[in-house]
Amino acid sequence: MATSRKVTLLSSDGESFEVEQSVAVESITIKDSIEEGSAGNPIPVPKVNSKILAKVIEYCKKHVESAKAEDRVDDEDLVAWDADFVKVDQATLFDLIRAANFLNIKSLLDLTCQTVADMIKGKTPEEKRKTFTIRNDFTPEEEEEVRRENQWAFE
Amino acid sequence: MAAAARKHGSLDDDGGEEKEAGAVLHGDVLELTLSHVPLVDLVPAARVSRSWSLAVSSSLRHLRRPRPWLLVHYQSPRPPHAVSSRAYDPRSRVWMDLEAGPGAAAAKLLASAPLRSSHSALLYGVSPARLSFSPDPLHLTWRHASPPSAWRVDPAVALVGSRLVVAGGACDFENDPLSVEVYDTRAGTWSACDPMPAPLKDSSASLWLSVAADGRRMYVMEKLTGATHVFDPEAGAWFGPYDLRPDRDVFYSIIGFSGDRLVMAGLLGNSEDLKGVKLWGSMTVEADGLEEICDMPEELVKELRDDNCCVSSIGMCLSGDFLYLYSNSKPELVFWCEREVESGAWRWGPRATQRREAGAWARGWRTPAPKSGSGSCGRRRRPGTGGSW
Repeated sequence: MATSRKVTLLSSDGESFEVEQSVAVESITIKDSIEEGSAGNPIPVPKVNSKILAKVIEYCKKHVESAKAEDRVDDEDLVAWDADFVKVDQATLFDLIRAANFLNIKSLLDLTCQTVADMIKGKTPEEKRKTFTIRNDFTPEEEEEVRRENQWAFE
Repeated sequence: MAAAARKHGSLDDDGGEEKEAGAVLHGDVLELTLSHVPLVDLVPAARVSRSWSLAVSSSLRHLRRPRPWLLVHYQSPRPPHAVSSRAYDPRSRVWMDLEAGPGAAAAKLLASAPLRSSHSALLYGVSPARLSFSPDPLHLTWRHASPPSAWRVDPAVALVGSRLVVAGGACDFENDPLSVEVYDTRAGTWSACDPMPAPLKDSSASLWLSVAADGRRMYVMEKLTGATHVFDPEAGAWFGPYDLRPDRDVFYSIIGFSGDRLVMAGLLGNSEDLKGVKLWGSMTVEADGLEEICDMPEELVKELRDDNCCVSSIGMCLSGDFLYLYSNSKPELVFWCEREVESGAWRWGPRATQRREAGAWARGWRTPAPKSGSGSCGRRRRPGTGGSW
């Protein structure tokens, strides 16, 4: 395909987003498709709905612009921007992880996974169940076995 | 469009129920997230529910597997010579304080003997009263023996199979400074062997000699010259010396074993002007020289050098395909390198720095061996103690 400056991405629910190619290729998946020439135009992005795709594009745009900026001070601003970016509800966060994984955008994947990882660490199992609304499906015997095996961590 | 989803995580078929499924942390999203959670926090995570327990195992196996920890022990030079311990986990890149760890037990057992480590996971202390040693990764068990008959200060000590070799050491009063004694850990008896080669006389092992052992022999390399002598405790005889340095530019070298492979780390240039750090390896010491494995990347060498700092000696700890390197003048800085199983190539990780502790610096360093339990990651088992996964 001709290397045009803009590409169109089509979300799973049929919405189109026109973006600069430099922004779109933050996703290795999209970059590979373009280079192989197997992508149509618009490029369909299955499994990622418009709401999430919009956020992903916002992230990529910000990071591409930042990379172009020459002032190193922007690094701190970028970190602050990233911290704000992930202040969303859990469902959106998990969708972002899925999308980042599927689209192969390492920095977004690391950012979102780390955010959820920070929610996981430092909590007791009961607190984790509460945070993520999970049902404890261990039988009492299984639970006792786990507790005994990992005694050292609970001292 | 070529759907390039990562091959380890096939998305759950929650097609039509995306909205509900999105709110639940499970499947590949959970596994990806868990790969960012420090290892110690994965233990309570595995207790949350069955699916989380499976996700922890799967994440550890496929996404970010556990790697050997570096255990650092600090022994105070003032009585009662308290020992405190810290551990570095390269998977999660965190340093941890070990509170009720081996350090406390070690201090009591060793009394005034300095804690030392010559190779892999062996920690020991030799005093006129006794010999104490611990070969297990977390040093939860210590063994004691009567001391060797010759009084030594800082001898070369190595555990070769079931035999503990104690050789040489610096001592002004002893008639036989080159004596070598071997303690059979199964029989609990000492026996004397051929004396050490003369060039190794009066060498304090921790300062001048690099000691390594495979299952059959002990290797002693003079750090400054690279001359290597090999001792076979079964034959009770010494072999060598072998000149292992293929590069004349090496001014300091140390050895260790990665599995069956002898690995040598060498400093190039001179102590005031460090040009680089290189790794060599060989399956046998008798062969003509060692093969180059890799160079330490320039940015890491720079950190080691750190303007105007004299790098005169380094230390190395090896466990399986994993290697730790540190400078003795800046022990808070640690570098690691790992051999990729598929390609066989060695890859350096980012440096690990820890806060400088006031007081005495480490006397003994070594790594635990996690691979002994790596088979357990695939089964429905959670990470246990530091050495068992």
